[in-house]
Amino acid sequence: MRYIYITLIFTMLWFIQSPVLVFGQSSKASPSVETMTPKSYKMSIAHLKSASDIAVKHDGFGGYLYYYRDSWGNKHITNNIDHIAQNLQKADATESVMHAKGPDQDAAEKKQPDSSRSEEAEDSSEEFMNADKPEEIISDPLEPMNRAFFHFNDKLYFWFLKPVASGYKVVVPQPVRVSVRNFFYNAAFPVRFVNCLFQAKIEDAGVELSRFLVNTFVGVAGFFDMATKKFNIKRQEEDLGQTLGTYGMGPGIYINWPILGPSSLRDTVGLVGDAFLDPLNYIVPRTKYRMSVNTYEGINKTSLTIGDYEDLKRAALDPYVATRDAYFQYRQSRIKE
Amino acid sequence: MNIKYLYQLSLLLFLTLTFIDPAMAGDPTNRIKQTTDKIIAILNDPALKVPDKAAERRKMIRKEVDELFDWEEFSQRALARHWRKTTDKEKKEFIPLFGKLVERTYMDKVENYSGERVLYTDEKIEGNYGVVNVKVMTDKNEEINVDYRLKKRGGEWIVYDVSIAGVSLVNNYRVQFNDILIRSSFKELMKRLQEKVEKD
Repeated sequence: MRYIYITLIFTMLWFIQSPVLVFGQSSKASPSVETMTPKSYKMSIAHLKSASDIAVKHDGFGGYLYYYRDSWGNKHITNNIDHIAQNLQKADATESVMHAKGPDQDAAEKKQPDSSRSEEAEDSSEEFMNADKPEEIISDPLEPMNRAFFHFNDKLYFWFLKPVASGYKVVVPQPVRVSVRNFFYNAAFPVRFVNCLFQAKIEDAGVELSRFLVNTFVGVAGFFDMATKKFNIKRQEEDLGQTLGTYGMGPGIYINWPILGPSSLRDTVGLVGDAFLDPLNYIVPRTKYRMSVNTYEGINKTSLTIGDYEDLKRAALDPYVATRDAYFQYRQSRIKE
Repeated sequence: MNIKYLYQLSLLLFLTLTFIDPAMAGDPTNRIKQTTDKIIAILNDPALKVPDKAAERRKMIRKEVDELFDWEEFSQRALARHWRKTTDKEKKEFIPLFGKLVERTYMDKVENYSGERVLYTDEKIEGNYGVVNVKVMTDKNEEINVDYRLKKRGGEWIVYDVSIAGVSLVNNYRVQFNDILIRSSFKELMKRLQEKVEKD
């Protein structure tokens, strides 16, 4: 009986090729501009499924500036309605790049010496180009607490993780450490597999399954990543946080956990959910041992990435903000894929 | 995914053994390859491998980087809405300083380069803008995506943004700068930038 249910679910998922169609637009909020969208225009391009979030603003010359995103999430701005349809169709075929300023916009700015009008025009282009629109940054109401945890993690790294990992690095050669990492990565297969399914990425789920089988049997319990080396099968990194993001859940607020590091509200929920899928939680049930295993995994991983955190601190004016934003951008890009 | 790992990727701008897919290579890709190859040549030059030539080598690499990366474009996008509030004089000070900071981040890594493979996988051009996608294979068998965003200026392609694993450098600095600028002043930002660069 349960096999029928499973088959039904798989069939359903197969037909729902894109969660976006079912649940609407994923986490892309509309631009923070006045939305006086011409109804007739929206109707005329409704058939283009990649049209999204078209917003209109007066350009100061009695015309309109159209802001829109193509299916790749790239923003466009134009004075010319027809460009939208053309561009969206093009976006379906090829990816487009972000335009900082359309040619119409340049002309508009030059023509208008009047300061108030050009303010608005300049506002539009700059706003478009780089503004900190709400959806472009992650909100951080818990900043004092997060900064404190960031500081704690910083000390933890320099006083504990780095020395231990460095010592470990001297004793254990790199291939062994990479193999250990591969083992843990392989063991987390159920998380990736199930989340691929939840996102209706059936092919990717299949790829993950084949990776798991190859690595477990040919690659000796996952120690050797044969799937990548011999067969060039790519990793499909999915987790519950990404799944929730694909279904439209925004990141929420930024939370910087002690020890665990940067996360968001959504991703924390994801971590908790994924913990149910992590086989290590079932194989090593006693909390005392589980902590040791997790710690070992952490030390092993750190030994392979010593220097990265130092580089971040060296490159950033404010490492806390840099980490927060990098985390946010990284998760956004993972969800888009 | 370990966030710290992402910052290892700052070295990956200048790497060798590029696989060229002839069908794909267009102007932006070629432009990047040009600079990359030059830098590799500098790194591999036996005459410059001597330690006392290190400063000269750095200078040569820096020159190549300055030609490909347009620091003014970087600065403008990194300051965003604060850009037009700065005077020309402030801009003149800011741009080279910011350029130095970004360069320095890569310079150390470039010199530690050890044979990572680089694949130029994709290129998109639309009008005067282009994106070049590059995949880098590390020695730990990982694949990282690096995107260069280019703009055509006066016939020449220049880079105005780099995204490593989806994290755009310009965006990252923009959030940092904005945070500093709304809490203090441009002077304070310049001071911090200055200190940072000098702390070499």
